[in-house]
Amino acid sequence: MSSAPPIVTVTGLVKRYGVLTAVKQVSFAVLRGEIFGILGPNGAGKTTTLEMIEGLRRPDGGTVVVDGVDVAADPRGVRGRIGVQLQEAGFFERLTVEETLTLFAAYHGRSIDPRPLIERMQLADKRGARVITLSGGQRQRLSIAVALVNDPPVLFLDEPTTGLDPQARRNLWDLIAGFRAEGRTVILTTHYMEEAERLCDRVAIMDHGRIVALDAPRALIRAHARATTIRVTLTGGGADFAALPGVMDVVQDDGEIALASGDPMQTVHALMDLNRTGTLHFHQLRIEEATLEDVFLHLTGHRLRE
Amino acid sequence: MRAFFLTVVMMFRHYFRDRTSLFWGMLFPLILMGLIGTAFGREADLTLPVGFVGAGPMAEGIRRGLAEVPVFEVTDETDADAALAALRQGERALVVVMPPSGGGPVRAYFDQGRGLESRTALLILERFIAEANLRASGVPPALRLESAGVAAARELRFFDFLLPGILAMTVMNSGLQGVTWVVTEYRQRLVLKRVLATPVRPAAFLGGLVTRYAVTNLVQLAVIIAIAVGVFHAVIAGSLLTLAALAVLGTLVFVGMGLAISTVSRTPESANLLGSLLNFPMLFLSGTLWPREFMPQTLQPLISALPLTPLVDTMRAVSARGESLAAHLPALGYLTAWGVAAFLLAAWRFEWE
Repeated sequence: MSSAPPIVTVTGLVKRYGVLTAVKQVSFAVLRGEIFGILGPNGAGKTTTLEMIEGLRRPDGGTVVVDGVDVAADPRGVRGRIGVQLQEAGFFERLTVEETLTLFAAYHGRSIDPRPLIERMQLADKRGARVITLSGGQRQRLSIAVALVNDPPVLFLDEPTTGLDPQARRNLWDLIAGFRAEGRTVILTTHYMEEAERLCDRVAIMDHGRIVALDAPRALIRAHARATTIRVTLTGGGADFAALPGVMDVVQDDGEIALASGDPMQTVHALMDLNRTGTLHFHQLRIEEATLEDVFLHLTGHRLRE
Repeated sequence: MRAFFLTVVMMFRHYFRDRTSLFWGMLFPLILMGLIGTAFGREADLTLPVGFVGAGPMAEGIRRGLAEVPVFEVTDETDADAALAALRQGERALVVVMPPSGGGPVRAYFDQGRGLESRTALLILERFIAEANLRASGVPPALRLESAGVAAARELRFFDFLLPGILAMTVMNSGLQGVTWVVTEYRQRLVLKRVLATPVRPAAFLGGLVTRYAVTNLVQLAVIIAIAVGVFHAVIAGSLLTLAALAVLGTLVFVGMGLAISTVSRTPESANLLGSLLNFPMLFLSGTLWPREFMPQTLQPLISALPLTPLVDTMRAVSARGESLAAHLPALGYLTAWGVAAFLLAAWRFEWE
């Protein structure tokens, strides 16, 4: 992250729908070449924010500058230099994959050979297949291929892996990481914390129309969820868990004890001692690193997905 | 320009890959035409079955004379009772019973149930008897009648009448049934939003879509005309080029109306329903399938105001009567006004999402 000017600058963005304010004074900057994630539950305002940056929705306040172009002043100019993958966007169902890309390239004023792009998005064997016959994952890859027809420096992906099975999701992560490797900036929304952690250089956590935290995933976890969770499955005995070194919080659920610890090494050590002396019997011990889920819970008081 | 051109090409392919729309666009008009044509369009080949009872030279002469009347189909009956039984069963329009050789009147029996045919047969018989009497008296006739059929250049058959109506209907359907569904469906499935997320000018995309309707309609109409001419022996008296121009104008007007409807009704179902609510009354009132004069007098002002009426009238004038457009410019102006109003409404209210 050098001192190069940001490629996307969002300042004081506001969107109101009647009495409801969907986006409340959102500001952030996206650096050239990073994968920037907007993480939040459904209804947090992620898509609305993204679509205002893309020039698809008119904000009620604030400004957006993309690659030096003010979106309000020249929305078509912005659309020309970005790639957009819309959540659940439909295509012409009886056109083939190749025809779809040719058509959308023309909408960008370009004439391209779609084959390398098809190859790249792993749709080679579906090149002549009609869109209606594609699986969810293939459709999503086509959607991203359409976003790439104009070779954009900035790519917007709105919940790119929603509805995909785990394998297809991981596959897409590799492809998205590849875009960063070739110097593109990627801005994506997600409500999967694992996706944000694994893929994003920086994450903005959004809830109820506001950004509640913004940093690299590790830094967020360090700052907002210091506790590591240690889970033991008891088979006998007992102890005053709260008094163990490092333990900050104890949740007892059936035979499983979850200990939030600020010093996992010390806590585990104490547990092992109790087990050895026979005060306590447990047959399983798991250590769980804190995740963005914990960060979200800590910052908002509720879970990412309820 | 490339965006516009590719939209036309791709939307054209997209359309022709859809069997359902091909059915409604081509097969349905043809089926409708075949059904209505065969139900109402029977040719006027009048034959009147006549039963004849009588023997002797005089009867034989009359019989031969009757058999020469073109529309009479004379059957010999053994006796009057058998002949009347056949008449009662509806097998004869007229029964002629000659008097026995001694003399007496020629008796004619007709079927009161088949009023028109029987009376026609009776009239012909009366005239035949009068002629026979005149000849027998040897007086030269004071007046002679020579008739010649005076018609337009040719006889207008029902299919010739029906074909332009079917063509106009197909054009209307593409707008009120086709566009209403397609545009709302594209909007609902976020296809329009996806297009809007590119820098393409809306006019290039929508213009391409409208143009593809004009092109597909021309193709559909060509197929319908080819089958109507080849299978139903319909005849087109006027210029095909003029008909094509009318089809394009009609397409623009009704596609405009379809777009306008899609801004009022947001779901494919409701937009299609609203389209049908306009479509069907026009189909039945505007003289598409039968002359609009069949409709009650009180409805005529309304019928004249419907946008389909000038299209049907003009297409029929060109197709069936071979007229040029010159006499129909006011009607076409009225039709165009509908199109302009529809496009203005659509442009004002159109939403991409």
